[in-house]
Amino acid sequence: MKSITLYEYKNSFLNHIDPFCKLLYILAALSIPLILGVSVTKLIFIAISIFLIISNKVFKKVIPLFTFSAIIILTAIIIQGLFYSNNKHIILQLGPLKFYKEGLLFAYHIALNVLNILLSFAVLIFTTKPTDLIDSFVRVGFSPRFGYVLSSVFQIIPQMSETMSTISDAQKSRGMESEGNLFTRIKAFFPLISPVITSSLINTRERAIALEVRGFNSTTKKTFLNQQTRTRKDKIINIILLLLIILSSIWRIITCLK
Amino acid sequence: MNKIKVENLSFSYTPNDLVLSNINITFDNRTTAIIGQNGAGKTTLVKLLKGLIKPISGDIQINGTSISSQSVASLAKQIGLVFQNPDDQIFKQTVLDEVMFGPLNIGINEVEAKNAAIEALSLVGMSKHENSNPYDLGLSERKLIAIASILSMNTPIIIFDEPTIAQDFISKEKIKNIIRYLQFQGKLVLTIIHDMDFVAECFERTIVLCKGSVLIDDETKKVFQNVDLLKEAHLELPHVARLSKELALKNLSLTIDDFITDWFNY
Repeated sequence: MKSITLYEYKNSFLNHIDPFCKLLYILAALSIPLILGVSVTKLIFIAISIFLIISNKVFKKVIPLFTFSAIIILTAIIIQGLFYSNNKHIILQLGPLKFYKEGLLFAYHIALNVLNILLSFAVLIFTTKPTDLIDSFVRVGFSPRFGYVLSSVFQIIPQMSETMSTISDAQKSRGMESEGNLFTRIKAFFPLISPVITSSLINTRERAIALEVRGFNSTTKKTFLNQQTRTRKDKIINIILLLLIILSSIWRIITCLK
Repeated sequence: MNKIKVENLSFSYTPNDLVLSNINITFDNRTTAIIGQNGAGKTTLVKLLKGLIKPISGDIQINGTSISSQSVASLAKQIGLVFQNPDDQIFKQTVLDEVMFGPLNIGINEVEAKNAAIEALSLVGMSKHENSNPYDLGLSERKLIAIASILSMNTPIIIFDEPTIAQDFISKEKIKNIIRYLQFQGKLVLTIIHDMDFVAECFERTIVLCKGSVLIDDETKKVFQNVDLLKEAHLELPHVARLSKELALKNLSLTIDDFITDWFNY
C-alpha cells in the first residue's frame, strides 16, 4: 500500500525528538517574530529551519515545497509591486509596468511569512511519524476519537486509491473505455465512482464494528502501545523554547511601557 | 481453438525486483488452474494477459496476434476476467443492467446484449433476480452476478480470479458446472485459485508458480504426484489425494469418484 505521509525514517537527530518539542518550535518560530515585531527574527528562524532540514537529511524532499512557495511569492511580488494601495515611490520600470518600493517591501514581508511558516512546519512534518504526533496529542488529553479520526486518514486514503485502481481495472476489463476525449471520461466516471463510494461505506461500517469489538468506546483509561520516550534533551529544548517566548514577551512589554 | 502464447515474459513493479521472470507458457483449450503461494505472481500474470499492465520484456500472443498493440478495452472482446471481489465492479441499479454493461461496451447492440445477459443469468441460476438491486443480494449471489456479467460478453477466453472464495458448497457446485459448460462450448478457461479440491475436480492442467517462475506445468493428476516440488511451493494436496496417500493406495486419487473406484479395486 502506498503511504501518503511525507515522513521517512532517517535515524536523524529530529527523528528521535519528542513531537511536542517540534510543535513548540513551530509555536516559537511563528510567535516570537510576531511578539517582537522585528522582521530579522523571521530571517533567523528561516535560517534555523533550513539548517535543521539540511542537517536531518530531508532537504531533497522539501524542495517541492520551495517551488510551491516560490509561485505564491512571485505572485505576491508582482501583484503587490504593481498595485499595493500605498504605492508611492517607483523603484523599477519595465516598459509600462511600474514597480513601487512600498509594494515590494510588503511582498518581501509576505515572502518571509510564507517561508517561515512552511519551513518550520516542514521541520515537524518531514521528521515525525504521523502516529507518534497523534499519540502525543492524545497523551496530553485530546480524545482518542479525535486521534483515531486523524490517523485513519492516513490509512483510508491509500486504501481508497488502491480500491479505485482495482475498480478501474475491473471496468476496463469489461470493455469500458477510460481514455480519450472529455465525453468518454465523463461516461467512465459513474462505473468508477459508485463502487468506490459503496465499498468505502461498507469498509467504514466494518471498521466501526471492528473498533467496537475491541472496546474502542470503553470508558476506562486507555493505555498506549508505544512508551513515551521523553529524554532530558527534549526537556532542555522545551525549556529553552519556552524561555525564548517568555523573554521576548517580557522585552516587548518593557519597550511598550517606556 | 483458442491459444495464448506467453514468451520470455518478465515483469517487475520496482526495478531489480522481478515479480515474474522469463515465463514461457502456451495455454491451449485445456482448462488450466494457476496455483501458487501468495506473492508467487499469479495475479500479476493474469493482469499481464489482460493488458492491464505492460511487461518489461517478452510478449503475449492471443490466437497469433500480440496484445502489446491492443488497448485493454479492445482486448475485452477476447478475454473476460472475473475479479475476486464482485463489489469492485457492481454499479448498476438492477442485476440485468449490470450484466448488460459489458456486452454494450464491446459494441453488441441492445437487443442482443439483453439476450446475452438473460442467457448468462440463467446459466448462473440468477434469472429470478433480474430486476433486483445487486446490493440487496448476498455476497455469493453478487459473485454469481459478476460471473454472469463476464459470461454475457461471450469471450472465447475466460479467467476466474479465486472463484470459490467465500462460497458455500452449492455455489461451488454451480461454479463447477459453469466451468464445465464453458469448456464444453470450446472456451479456454483459466483460473487463479487456492482451493486444491476444486483444482483436482475441475481442471485438466495445472501450472504451479513459485517466486515468479513456473515450477511445474503438467496434467493436474501428474502435478499432484510431485509431492516434493509442491512442498517447495508451500502447497498442499487435495484432501482426497492426502487420504489415498495415507492409506497407501496404489494410485493417487484426486476426486471422490476416483477414490471409490480405487478403493474397491484395492
